[in-house]
Amino acid sequence: MIYFKNINKKYPPDTLALNDVNLHIKPGEFVSIVGQSGTGKTTLIKLLIAEEKPTKGKIIVGGWDITDIPGRHVPILRRQIGVVFQDYKLLPKKTVMENVAFALQVAGETNVKIEKIVPQVLKIVGLEEKGKRFPEQLSGGEQQRVSIARSLVHRPKILVADEPTGNLDSINTREIIDLLQKINELGTTILLVTHNREVVNALRKRVITLEAGAVISDQEKGKYIL
Amino acid sequence: MFLLSLARIFRFAFQSFLRNIWLSLVTITIIVMTIFSLTILILVNVVTDQAVSSIKSKVDISLYFEAQTKEEIVIDTKDQISKIDHVKNIEYVSAAVALERFKATHSQDSLIQDAVDEMGENPLGPVLVVKADEMNNYPLILKNIKDFKIDEVVKEIDYDDHQLIIQKIELISDKIKQFGLFLSITFTLISLLVVFNTIRVGIYVHRDEVNIMKLVGASNWFIRGPFLVESILYAIFGCLIFWIIFYIAIGFINPLVSGFFADINFNLISYVLHNFWYIFGFELVAVILLNIVSSAFALGRHLKV
Repeated sequence: MIYFKNINKKYPPDTLALNDVNLHIKPGEFVSIVGQSGTGKTTLIKLLIAEEKPTKGKIIVGGWDITDIPGRHVPILRRQIGVVFQDYKLLPKKTVMENVAFALQVAGETNVKIEKIVPQVLKIVGLEEKGKRFPEQLSGGEQQRVSIARSLVHRPKILVADEPTGNLDSINTREIIDLLQKINELGTTILLVTHNREVVNALRKRVITLEAGAVISDQEKGKYIL
Repeated sequence: MFLLSLARIFRFAFQSFLRNIWLSLVTITIIVMTIFSLTILILVNVVTDQAVSSIKSKVDISLYFEAQTKEEIVIDTKDQISKIDHVKNIEYVSAAVALERFKATHSQDSLIQDAVDEMGENPLGPVLVVKADEMNNYPLILKNIKDFKIDEVVKEIDYDDHQLIIQKIELISDKIKQFGLFLSITFTLISLLVVFNTIRVGIYVHRDEVNIMKLVGASNWFIRGPFLVESILYAIFGCLIFWIIFYIAIGFINPLVSGFFADINFNLISYVLHNFWYIFGFELVAVILLNIVSSAFALGRHLKV
């Protein structure tokens, strides 16, 4: 599904964010990527959604070599990968329904299809009653669920969650992780970037640990080792 | 697919326009003020041109013939003058008409009326009123007329008296044109910068949204489209609001302007109405283009992948 082959990422003047990273993530896996701040976790995600390009190496997603992806193909790639961020990244002047629908509208889906799918996805994340609210009228946990709904709505094969529980309390954290597990059980590959030791240890899934831009540990059913 | 995307771009633009109503109102206000400056500038130029050309049209060379000059001589002189280059028009005012005009001009002055009546016969001679095609050509025409050796029949050529005034008008007219050009360029540049920066600030406020749209997979055109349409909406609303306010305002201004330019018969309302589509169209197209360029330029920075 996802291959990182000998990936190096250098930022000027001489910061090495990733150093010879080799990873293979299989379809349907739930992978936690852990590491302290500044170890290259977010850079890895940025490379995956083509927000950055590697200095060296090759990235393949679903058989598609995205290492030197042209700018015009980037939107197509991003429509196939759902992304959830710590700060939710919702459009503040759009309602919950509009935020979720936007991901389909950019892909040119018909209104009929959008009107059918969006309520279904909102039901999955438990926000079917709050579709007409604006993000500022929701709690942090609810906003993150909207973000997950938006990332799910075009049924991506990969969902990347970059510190999705970073701004949430323990109850909301549990709910979000449960939701991600539920999505994973439906067949979506999940990449969870997190600092949260409890979350990682409770998951009992594959854990990749990064330190100083390099993979120092990659364990099936692993634990937070730092 | 294309039409669907286009429809969505328009919907998002209207949605953003309404949901960011304060930002929209501020931008429209700036545009209204910009159009106000441009319109005033256009009208000041028009009024100045009207005033100068009206004064210029009153300048002429008048040849006052002796009272008993035969009509054939006057007609012959007229024919000769009409052959001079740059003569636009010659009016022949017979002695009888000259007297009538004199009486009409001094109808309120009983002393003059009595004096003329007492004379019994017409003391005035015929007059030729010569108009040139350009102000600058009067001295040349005057020189040619003087070369005709008509001193015996013409008692006075009335031009030298005006010469100083005409030179002053020319000077003032040139200065006004230069100042008008300077003012036009300055105002236009200020307007361009103000609108350009207002649109840029508007887009800067939305930079996080632009970034989110990119992350969700929106193409650059899908992101750019609503902003461009929204900037066109600003221009349309700005122009409409300005012209509604201005139309009401000129109802009050017109008597003042007409009073000020009483001698030149200039009517602001009829000028504005007559040239409405020309001025409105020019301003609308200019502001739309300016807004589109500003939006495209400001967005370009945020759209890099």
